Amino acid sequence: MTAALALPIAAIPARAVAAEANEIGFTVLGYKEKGLMKVTEPVLWGRGTFHEVWEVEASAAVDIISGASPQLVTNVSGRPVNSITAASITDRRNTGDAKLTRRFGDFAVSVSRTISDENDYKSHAFGLGAEWSLNQKNTTLAAGYGKSNDRVGSRDDPALHERRDTKEYLFGITQVLSPVAIVQSTVTRSAGRGWYNDPYKLTFTFFDQGIPLLLPDTRPDHRDTLAWLTRYRRHFPSAHGTLQLDYRYFRDDWGIRAHTLEAAWEQTLNERWSVRPALRYYTQGAADFYTPVAPSSPPAILSSDQRLGAWGGLSPSIRVTRRFERGISIEGTLGYVHDARDLRFGGSGSEAFETLRAVYGIVGVRYPF
Amino acid sequence: MKRWLAALLAASLGACTTVAPYQRGYLARDDMAFEPSPGTVRALEKTYSAKEAASGGASVGGGGCGCN
Repeated sequence: MTAALALPIAAIPARAVAAEANEIGFTVLGYKEKGLMKVTEPVLWGRGTFHEVWEVEASAAVDIISGASPQLVTNVSGRPVNSITAASITDRRNTGDAKLTRRFGDFAVSVSRTISDENDYKSHAFGLGAEWSLNQKNTTLAAGYGKSNDRVGSRDDPALHERRDTKEYLFGITQVLSPVAIVQSTVTRSAGRGWYNDPYKLTFTFFDQGIPLLLPDTRPDHRDTLAWLTRYRRHFPSAHGTLQLDYRYFRDDWGIRAHTLEAAWEQTLNERWSVRPALRYYTQGAADFYTPVAPSSPPAILSSDQRLGAWGGLSPSIRVTRRFERGISIEGTLGYVHDARDLRFGGSGSEAFETLRAVYGIVGVRYPF
Repeated sequence: MKRWLAALLAASLGACTTVAPYQRGYLARDDMAFEPSPGTVRALEKTYSAKEAASGGASVGGGGCGCN
């Protein structure tokens, strides 16, 4: 299962008013699933402005992954269940990206490059972007084009060398609504062609009669997606707090429909401290070719990967920020992830979906200069 | 759902006023930014996108990963 990763710096305006001209930061993520994977990810990032019209942003990260992963879905016990790998997986992914922007008054163009390298997956991507500010910068239109060329391999099969190429298109609008409110809405479409099979996933189905079937994960050779993300920020001066709402609608030609909603309240306690409780809800329907139990005459395309099933998830989190002199700040986030079939909106989660529980912690420092 | 969101967006845009630069003090706050901390944003997106079928929405050209 692969996932498109967004650049740490969005292609669309991250704020309505220009932030500090230059800053660097360092962030560390620690993520642990109950009984499964553990991930540690340090991220170094920076952004700056020079000669007033050039902006550069860059980041580098390393994902250090270890633990077990669901490999096999089998109904040998009478109902489909996930079976995890016997051996612990250890993997490491190195990634880096950079973006250069040139401003021409109310207009800006940007170019970006992203590279990701791990044992069994390599990705090279680039992006082009344009922004146009109107109406005294109350309105900003953004457009973007991206292309990634990926190479898929397998730890278990050295002969596997497949490719996947994806083109992406973005259009967005950012609108200042009032001195205390702003909204941003972005539509992103992608068209992917190539290898989407997960080389580590199998479906092992037993029947009342006849021999069992052991099938590899087989997915379509294309994937077209649409993601519509809308974000709203509203500050309440008398309460010293800000409401943050994000909603994303996702669909693809695999039959998946998903909704993501996150609500947060950032409360400024004083000049030094602020706290941000948040709750994220996610729900998705299953892919057309998802099934945890193969039929006796299996189709050409079939996957039992539960990430393609129907399920929902809740993720509460809390973030605390401590501000120091000269704009330096440290923030710490604690979060919990609970994914389950009965959290799917409207019910009807996939029978074989096994509840995922995870905790994560993020610590980050920012240093303007 | 899409029609409802489009109508909400259109209504929001129609209801907005022109805010002069000197009135944007609150908009410059960190908590009003859509992505105030790039490191945290990156870490969080990977946390969720590796387990979910949905992804993306805010940018293009980010590439992919194995994410097994």
